[in-house]
Amino acid sequence: MSQENVVESLLGETTQKKKSRIPARLDFLQSATGLFLAIFMIFHMLFVSTILISKDFMLSVTKAFELNFIFEGGSPVPVFIAISIVFVVFIFHAFLAMRKFPISYRQYLRLKTNSDLMNHGDTKLWIIQVVTGFALFFLGSIHLYTMLTNPGNIGPYASSDRVFSDLMWPLYIVLLIAVEFHGSIGLYRLSVKWGWFEGEDSKVSRKKLKKAKIILTVVMLTLGVMTLMAYMKIGYDHQENYGEKYMHTTEVNHAN
Amino acid sequence: MQIKYTDALIIGGGLAGLRSAISTTDKGLNTIVLSLVPVKRSHSAAAQGGMQASLGNSIMGEGDNEDVHFSDTVKGSDWGCDQEVARMFVNTAPKAIRELAAWGVPWSRVKKGDKETVINAEKTTITEKDEAHGLITARDFGGTKKWRTCYTADATGHTMLYAVTNEAMKRGVVIEDKKEAISLITKDGQCFGAIVRDLKNGELTAYVAKGTMIATGGYGRIYKQSTNATICKGTGHAIALDAGAYLGNMEAIQFHPTPIVPSGILLTEGCRGDGGVLRDKDGYRFMPDYEPEKQDLASRDVVSRRMLEHINKGKGVKSPYGDHLWLDISILGRKHIEKNLRDVQDISKTFNDIDPADEGEKGWMPVLPMQHYSMGGIRTTPQGQSITLKGLFSAGESACWDMHGFNRLGGNSVSETVVSGMIVGNYFADYCKETDINIDTKMVQEALTEQDNYLDELLALDGNESIYDIKDEMRHIMQNKVGIFRNGKDLEEAVKELKALLKKTKNINITNKHRLLNQELEEAYKVPMMLKVALCVAKGARDRTESRGAHYREDYLKRDDENWLNRTLSYWANEDDWEPTLAYEELDIMKMEIAPGFRGYGKKGLIIENPLSQKRQDEIDKITQAHVGDRYELQNKLMPYELQSEYKSINQRLGDENE
Amino acid sequence: MSREITITTLKYNPSDENSKPTFVDYKLEETPGMTLYIALSKIKATLDHDLTSDFVCRAGICGACGMIINGKPKLACKTLTSEFKDARIELLPLPTFKLIKDLSVDTGSWMKNMSMRVNSWIVTNEEYDISKFEKRIEPEVADEIFELDRCIECGLCVAGCSTAIMREDFVGAVGLNRVARFSIDPHDSRTDEDFYELIGDDEGIFGCMSLLACEDYCPKNLPLQSKIAYMRRKMVKV
Repeated sequence: MSQENVVESLLGETTQKKKSRIPARLDFLQSATGLFLAIFMIFHMLFVSTILISKDFMLSVTKAFELNFIFEGGSPVPVFIAISIVFVVFIFHAFLAMRKFPISYRQYLRLKTNSDLMNHGDTKLWIIQVVTGFALFFLGSIHLYTMLTNPGNIGPYASSDRVFSDLMWPLYIVLLIAVEFHGSIGLYRLSVKWGWFEGEDSKVSRKKLKKAKIILTVVMLTLGVMTLMAYMKIGYDHQENYGEKYMHTTEVNHAN
Repeated sequence: MQIKYTDALIIGGGLAGLRSAISTTDKGLNTIVLSLVPVKRSHSAAAQGGMQASLGNSIMGEGDNEDVHFSDTVKGSDWGCDQEVARMFVNTAPKAIRELAAWGVPWSRVKKGDKETVINAEKTTITEKDEAHGLITARDFGGTKKWRTCYTADATGHTMLYAVTNEAMKRGVVIEDKKEAISLITKDGQCFGAIVRDLKNGELTAYVAKGTMIATGGYGRIYKQSTNATICKGTGHAIALDAGAYLGNMEAIQFHPTPIVPSGILLTEGCRGDGGVLRDKDGYRFMPDYEPEKQDLASRDVVSRRMLEHINKGKGVKSPYGDHLWLDISILGRKHIEKNLRDVQDISKTFNDIDPADEGEKGWMPVLPMQHYSMGGIRTTPQGQSITLKGLFSAGESACWDMHGFNRLGGNSVSETVVSGMIVGNYFADYCKETDINIDTKMVQEALTEQDNYLDELLALDGNESIYDIKDEMRHIMQNKVGIFRNGKDLEEAVKELKALLKKTKNINITNKHRLLNQELEEAYKVPMMLKVALCVAKGARDRTESRGAHYREDYLKRDDENWLNRTLSYWANEDDWEPTLAYEELDIMKMEIAPGFRGYGKKGLIIENPLSQKRQDEIDKITQAHVGDRYELQNKLMPYELQSEYKSINQRLGDENE
Repeated sequence: MSREITITTLKYNPSDENSKPTFVDYKLEETPGMTLYIALSKIKATLDHDLTSDFVCRAGICGACGMIINGKPKLACKTLTSEFKDARIELLPLPTFKLIKDLSVDTGSWMKNMSMRVNSWIVTNEEYDISKFEKRIEPEVADEIFELDRCIECGLCVAGCSTAIMREDFVGAVGLNRVARFSIDPHDSRTDEDFYELIGDDEGIFGCMSLLACEDYCPKNLPLQSKIAYMRRKMVKV
């Protein structure tokens, strides 16, 4: 046990009679991990939605992540590493964000009453974040663990089979909604929290940010639902051949 | 019941009380400040337009100094003030404002170069000097020769109050909110503290102190229509009166020209100071007709009377709340209003749904003169101590030390609060340091028990009068019979009716018998206090058969220097009396620095001259002509006065080397 | 055309052991331009002498009369009864602050603690002589400080804040704004490190979750969002 920690925990200040810098770091890291995850979420959506263009395109993107330009035919290792990083950030973000949750009945009651009485937009948005964040503890973990254990199993058929035949789709529907709301609200909050895009008049820019947030939610949700439906359809059509991997059309032609 | 001991006890947590507390704390005294409300909510916060101090930084204030400020103040008072006190004040005001600047009041500053402004309803460009850049600037106000009113937009009192409260907290002044002093502890003509009721739980405590100061502000709430906050009930005056203190010039009540109709919320004089004008029902700007020189910016008593005079000619705008006039600031432009008159705009928008920045008639705000300020108060020496009760001091609006006489200039009151907190606060501190009291705890306990029994008695009253009706009637009487225009008949009736009301308070019935937190019980002990104060005002006004400053008698139109160049003193001679006893204190013309004369505004030819005035004028002329040396030496020859050396020192100004 | 309005308030006197928290309805006739100050004064004078609330300046300047009005934290003196189309108004005392009685709460003690905690005053070693010129300040800087100095400590930002509702020790937007105010004042010599000592923790700047009810309910329209963000950026760099 370091004496420094003992002093701080007892007295609330360091041995130099200064306040600890840890709360500042934690606040920064909460935002930084959130930003990372939100950006990841956007790109993740863009990548998986490539299925809407074509199976081939989706496969090419997947292979690119498997670094097939370095490893012949691609390797699951880079994907595994990427997922591991995201998982760690995800857990860390959850750990930090948890500090803000209501943790007793009294806190919960006061928060809920205040929010219901006021009917205040940004306060309600935060409650949505608390609820979706709580859901993501489980949904996100399941998804991330699944992917971590199957890093090579991403592709037009593999993913579709997972969605349809492995019965992941109910989870994905809820996960999709939770992530999109949590992420877009989170991005909006990060902006007002740190004063990004503030411009001359913060009241005007906040209105714009709010509009951008709504657009982001709608676009991402629409895209997400369409993508999920596409995988469902492929998975449904492909249930007889469960487990079979998709071959790029050029490769199929070549094999023929 | 509890007894608390302290060195200095200050009743009232506005600017005067808190600044005094800083003085006492700086001299090492334990100080307690009691306040009816959290101190930052004190009525000082409502002072909008600004604080007068003759810094002379702005080009429009060039050439300003203590002498000009002094002359404006004396003329404003209609020669009713104590000129020595006015001198003490004008010399300390620049120091007060500089101290406040160092404490963080964000005074608006001079910006070098051209600046567009509105003077006499016309757009004018003024050019500020380079060397004044960054120094405190000032705006124009009524009754002043120079632009002398320093400001932070229209929230000047607010920023001052916050800065002074912050400094008091920094120094460890004990500030106790929601405490009401309901009587003073006295014995043999000396004050030893107060009996205090805790408004959070209803309990009584005796505060024993070497010295006690009352800084409770004005008593405007005895009127039906007043710009004053709900707490300005004059209870501080009433407890002093009960304890044997004398009140001075209680009839000197100021009516502000521009509260908004009907809510009675003040629109600052800064509106007109910055170039706004008054208009009648035809949209006509009428003030220049009455007051060719100062126009809309004559002193408040004069403008208020001219407005009513104009309404009586049938020029008022009809409304469900009676006739009113318009205040037009739209000519200043939206940009100026949204920067410097923001609270005015907010008030007008919220309460009247009028945006004063809208051009033309649409933006005009309905205004009518209403009670605003109490020039009178606890009569003290220039050092702030009661002239009859040892150990009792008073500062700010609650005091009559007496720098305003019969009319106060706009911007001089908020200035007086801090200045008196410095000067009187320091004398008060000296008194507390020098005094050791020997007090019998039994006597304190008795004083406490007496108040405790009094509250029980009030609760036990089993009459048929409602304290709320009595209060309403009092405020109605004051409004209608002791208002801007006064006459003997109405005043006689007012005194009679107020006396009858005071008697009625012994025959009330309090519906809720709960002893601790009970609003009705509070009214029951406050209304009799207010009635006593109201009686001092009405009786003083009845007997003063002249017109001076804000005291205007339709049956005695002239200022009577021959018979009435004096100060009214009112006191409660016997506990069982139903009205105050009056006495008078002469003002010594032969000691005045400025002999009585015409103010430069208001109606001419309405003075009954005192032969001594001319005699004194000749003396002054002689001294002035024979004088060799600077203006400070001349001043000293004309009227020497005492002031703490740190406040008497010379104030630095731009262009000093030219003197 | 006047109408009848119903004002429902919470009544409770903690100093009276027989008192229980109850809701009471008052019906009264609305008059033109009626504010809640006028309405409550009328109720006190005619319907219920004992109803307690805090009004001082009744002009939106002193900050005494904050209440929850139909769910939202507002200044009662500046609220017109005509705003409520269904003629029903429900009044509650501000949360977070200690209840004195009915609608009256102890904002004074809370604000005093806040002021002491953030050292809400100028700190400097610079000497000044009150007989000499004041320190020169750029006019724009003075205006900027004034902008933040307009806070009236009404407590609406605290009452609307979900962090303050849940965590009693949170310093609130009022406290963070105060620190921002002194941090831009050239009279004040404190550094960011010094300010970190005052608000650099989860009860201070890092407790704020940016829900912005403070900004939305501030009756003075203070730029709270912007200034809290400003302080956060500064404090995180310390």
